[in-house]
This record gives sequence, structure tokens and C-alpha cells, in this order.
Amino acid sequence: MATRTLDSPPRIMPLYVRAAAPMIPGASLLPFVPGRGKEVPDVELELAGVRAEPEAVAAYARVCGFSLRDHLPATYPHVLAFPLHMAVMADGSFPFGAVGLVHVENRIDQLRRIGLGEELTLRVRPTKLEPHSRGQTFSLVSEASIDGEKVWEGTSTMLCRQRGSGMQEARKSYSERTPNSGETAEAPPASAEWKLGGDLGRRYAAVSGDRNPIHMHSLTAKPLGFPGAIAHGMWTKARALAALESRLPGAFGVEVRFRKPILLPARVEFAQTGGEEEIDFTVRDTKRGTPHLNGRLWPLDTEDPGSAGNPKTQAGRSNSK
Amino acid sequence: MIDSPRRVAIVGGNRIPFARSNSVYSHASNQDMLTAALDGLIDRFSLDGERLGEVAGGAVLKHSRDRDLTRESVLGTRLAPETPAYDVQQACGTGLETTILVANKIALGQIDAGIACGADTTSDAPLGLNEDLRQVLLDVNRQKSVGGRLKQLTRVRPGHVVPAIPRNEEPRTGKSMGEHCAIMADEWEIGRAEQDELAVASHHNLAAAYERGFMENLVTPYLGLEQDQNLRADSSAEKLAKLKPVFGGEEGTMTAANSTPLSDGASAVLLASEEWAKERGLPILAYFADGQTAAIDHVHKREGLLMAPAYAMPQMLDRNGLKLQDFDFYEIHEAFAAQVLCTLRAWEDPEFCRERLARDEALGAIDREGLNVNGGSLAAGHPFAATGGRIVASLAKALNERGSGRGVISICAAGGQGVVAILEGTEK
Repeated sequence: MATRTLDSPPRIMPLYVRAAAPMIPGASLLPFVPGRGKEVPDVELELAGVRAEPEAVAAYARVCGFSLRDHLPATYPHVLAFPLHMAVMADGSFPFGAVGLVHVENRIDQLRRIGLGEELTLRVRPTKLEPHSRGQTFSLVSEASIDGEKVWEGTSTMLCRQRGSGMQEARKSYSERTPNSGETAEAPPASAEWKLGGDLGRRYAAVSGDRNPIHMHSLTAKPLGFPGAIAHGMWTKARALAALESRLPGAFGVEVRFRKPILLPARVEFAQTGGEEEIDFTVRDTKRGTPHLNGRLWPLDTEDPGSAGNPKTQAGRSNSK
Repeated sequence: MIDSPRRVAIVGGNRIPFARSNSVYSHASNQDMLTAALDGLIDRFSLDGERLGEVAGGAVLKHSRDRDLTRESVLGTRLAPETPAYDVQQACGTGLETTILVANKIALGQIDAGIACGADTTSDAPLGLNEDLRQVLLDVNRQKSVGGRLKQLTRVRPGHVVPAIPRNEEPRTGKSMGEHCAIMADEWEIGRAEQDELAVASHHNLAAAYERGFMENLVTPYLGLEQDQNLRADSSAEKLAKLKPVFGGEEGTMTAANSTPLSDGASAVLLASEEWAKERGLPILAYFADGQTAAIDHVHKREGLLMAPAYAMPQMLDRNGLKLQDFDFYEIHEAFAAQVLCTLRAWEDPEFCRERLARDEALGAIDREGLNVNGGSLAAGHPFAATGGRIVASLAKALNERGSGRGVISICAAGGQGVVAILEGTEK
């Protein structure tokens, strides 16, 4: 695998132009436009010396509902790694453009809390394409380390819809992928209702840098097969973590499946079950109960970093300080 | 029920470093800062999942959305969500008053442990709607017809975009606290040099406290700030003498250096019964012995706005059979150097003590060596409701280092109020 070390974070807007270019028929024949490759390139991008800007974290915390603490929200390294995600996907050898890809799953392992001032080294690599009846999926694996020690890992699984498009297709593919997830058990009562404004996509875009047109406005979402702007999956995940803030151990894993996209504006509700060992949570439509996100959170045993990859390892209350 | 009051242990405290206004904590709300201070306390004393008797806290500058600031902060921490909490607001007395409230409940056996805390931001200030606009909007809302509403809306004027900004101003006198203190300084003939001297001592003492590691288990860094931003270790009387007065006109003696700056911060103190602390293997730094609040009439009787602690002190001393000289540490909140000096001079003045405090003789002078030994508000800064917690924790630690002894706290507050308290060392 080839590791490319970057000197500075890639600039997002030019990457968007390249990411969107494959939507123009024939453009992929050009060398700098993604879409030529058949396989995800075996590459890793590395960026050292990354530090969160306190003001940016404060703005992010406000949009997602976190308190401004002295450590980063567990979803924040994803925001820091996002320019690298875009750079990977905007590469000419990438099999398709990033715009229009659907984020279907996300898993985060926070091995310990990351202090606001700590300097991170980020590494991002894509995994191989996997067939999917509605298209193909691949994952972007991001790693954050401090002084050579891995402290955080995030895995974003993306679906490229290849036959047909739009919400319905996307929705089918999730349930197909996870036939038994969440819907068989009786739905737990909601613990909170959230009113999401029509501008939520733009507000989250401003603090995360994720300006995928499907989130920005109904006019930009419609050409991509959505009836209107949809909420960012990572906002929904972050908002759910913020709701669980007081119960988060220092080290934990949290995985979510993005189900039916949230069409903005919306009223959704948050429900949770479980306790010290494991928390299951869901974000669903208030009226219909249709799930938008199903998630699971579990403490990680910090004594044994090797267990980070094993969601079944239980640590009870873990104090990582 | 218990037969007699229990001793109240001060287990320890935690605060975030205090920042100057519109600086490092500009984007942190009161709730963010209070949560951060509580987080640090919870970590320090392993209070994860602990259900405490109560958390009492508050903020002086509070937005209406922060209705239950303390409760909402508690819900954001790892304390058991079954821990009750309430807000208190008594201007700069808030932090010490919450300590008295929690301590009293512990003494009476109503609760076994609790946290007293406070936060204030002057950066993320609670701007309100322009008052005239607010009146118009309320009138609009009262109208039933569209026409009626539109008619009311015609009263909106361009000037209404100017928001209502919280002011450091006494509502009944229209004077700022600094202006009030300047009158006191004049009345008590407090000179510029002695004010500057007190300010310099405050900086030097706080710097020394950081230097020798005294602050280590009192302060947890926040947003990149590791110690109080206002602290000037190299402060000197010569430098301070160059500053122009900011209160009391051109002849005034009060400057930006001998008055506290606007600041942001939060603090928290853990109080408990001896049993509760011992069961958990937690330290007892000192005991909370007594507290007293007093108020004066600064509106009609011309008493100095910040003189109430001078009145509260003798009431508390008499009740405890103590003299003003019976203390090893004196923690007098340095709202302004002049306030501290006016208070000390009043206690030394036979006439004031006879006529205002109705005592046969003066309370007398204190040994200045024991005054604000680990720095005061002039150096640390003064986020209003967070000052009480800063002082209680710091004094408790000083008493713990000394082992035995007694310390007294005196805090003046807006509205002509004052709060005082006594802490005692664990060894007799």
C-alpha cells in the first residue's frame, strides 16, 4: 500500500468540483476526474500535526448539542479527517465520484478521550469494493494517533447506488444488508424529541465542511434523487452521542446504521435502551416511527488496547484519564 | 433525625482557570464552563455515577434559556442523574452562599454530600431584546386580529435593533460598582499606593501558589488555558503607579490594576459529612464552621455599597465566641483593592464599630501576613459566581497544609450584600 503524506489539509471546495465532475457524461475519461478505475486504489493518506481549533469545536458542539468540554466530541476526529476522505475519493483512479455517495454505516472506536489541544496524526485509507445488490460499497477507515499511539478509529461505509437512484433504493439496500436490525424488537419509548430546522444541513455543513449537495438545499438534492435536502448522517450520529453525553465512558465504541434519510425540516425522536454494559439507541420519525438511525454503544476496556476491535469486550465503568 | 448539627467536611474543590473577558472562553457558555468545573471535580474524587444530596450553583449574568443552569449542567456530567440541583443568585456572594446552603443541609443531616458551584461569563453575555421592542412584541401578541397586530408592529423603530446589554450598574443608584467603591475609598481615605500594593501582593501570592504546585489539585485546564489568564507574576508597584484612574474622576485612586477585570470561569466545591467522606476514602481538607450574610442600605442611608461584609463579620464572630484576630488566614474577596482596605479600616475604626455595628470597641486590625496568602481576585480574575468556590477550596487547602488553624472568608456583593464564613483546620 502506498502512503502519501500531506503537508497541509486538502482544500475542500476544489475537491468537491472534482468529486462532482463524474456526473458530467464522459468527464471520467479525463485523467484528473474520478471514475476511470475499476477498483478502489490501494492508498493511504497521512496528515500530521492536526490540531482542533477551539472555536471550530465550539461551533460544532453548538450545532450538534455537545457541551464544550476540554476533550473533543467523539465524532469530531471524523470532521478533521473529512478533507482526507474527500481527497481519497477525488483521486483520478477512484472508481466513482464522491457526490451522490450515500453514507450507510459508521463506526467509531474512541480508545481514550482526546484533549482539545492534542496534536493528531490522521491516516485515511479506503477498503476494497464489496458487491451489494443495489450497487457497491467500500469503507473509509480513518485513524487518529497521538505520539504514535492510536487513540481513535472511524469507519465510514459508503454505498454507490448503481441501478436506479434515490431514497427508496437506498432504504432497501440498508434493510437488505441488515435484515434483522432493530425492527424486530418492540420499539423503546422515546426519551427526547428533536425539531430539526430546514437549514440544519447548511448549519452542519458550515461546522463540518461536508457540503455534499444532498444536504444543502432541495434544489441541489433533487437532481441527486432525493425529494429534498436531507440531514447529514454524521450530524444525526453526533446529536445522538450528545444526548448520551453524561453516560459516555472515556473509551467506547459506537456503531450506527443510517436508515431512511431525514428529510428536512423534520421532527424526529430519540430512544435508548440498555445501561452500563451497552446502550442501543435509535433516531426515528416522530409520527411514523420509521427508523432513521440505529446505533449501539459499548464501553471499551482501556487496559487492553487490543480489544478495541472487539465490540463484545466489556469494561463496565471505564475511567480513562 | 439527628440530635445536634454534624461537622461539615470540605473534601476539595475544582475550577477551570479564569479567563479575561472576550478571550479564550468567548465561545463557552455558563453551562459549558460549569459542566467543565464539575467534570474535573467528579474525576478528582471519583464521583462517577454518584448520587449526591444536591448540587447548588448559579450564575450572576444568566440568559433566560439557562433557567435551570445547575440542573442542566449536572445532567451533562457523569454524576447520577438522580442528583437534585438548584440555582442561586446573590451577585458575587453566590458561590459562598451556595456553600452555606449545602453545608447547612449536611449539618442538619438532610443530605450527606453536595456540591456548591458557580459560573459566570462576561463574554457569552445574555443579550436581551431591546426593551422597547420587547414591549411592542408583547403587545402584538396580545392583539387578536391581524389588523390589530399590524398596527402594533408599526411601532417598531430602527433603534430597536440595539439589544439590552447587561450592565454592571446598581439599579437603584444608576452608579457602577466601581463608582460606588470610589465613593467608599474617598470616605475612608484609601490612598492609591496602598491599593496598588495590595494588587501587587495579590499577583505575587498567586504566582507563588502556582509556582510551588499549590494550585495543582485545585485547577483543571480548560480550552488550552492552564492558569489564570489575568495573572501577572512580574507585577510591580512602579508599573501600577503609571496607570490612569478609571473610577472616581481624574483625582481617583482606582485603576484597571487595582480593580478586578471582567472575567469568565467556573468553580465547584465538594462538601460532605465526615462519615460520607471517610466511607469513600476521600480527604477532609477542612471543616465548614459557620456562615453569615448581611445587607446594608446603600440607597437611602448612604452606607457604602460594598460595606455589608463589615456588618456580617461581627455577627458571625459573636455567635462563635471569636475575635477578629483569632484567624490564621483572611480571605477577603478583592472586588477592588479599595473594598478590602475600606473593610479593614472600618473594623479598625472605633466610631464605625460603635455607631454602625453597635459595639463597645473596634474589632481591631488583622495580621496582614495572613491576608489572601495564595492570591486574590485581583490576580485570579473574578467570574462573579465562581469566586466563592475558588476561595473556599483554596482556603480549605491552605488550612489542610497548615493542619490546624482557622480561616475566615469575606465577600462583598452587588445590591449592598455581603457573605462571610469560617473554615477550620482538621487538627485542633
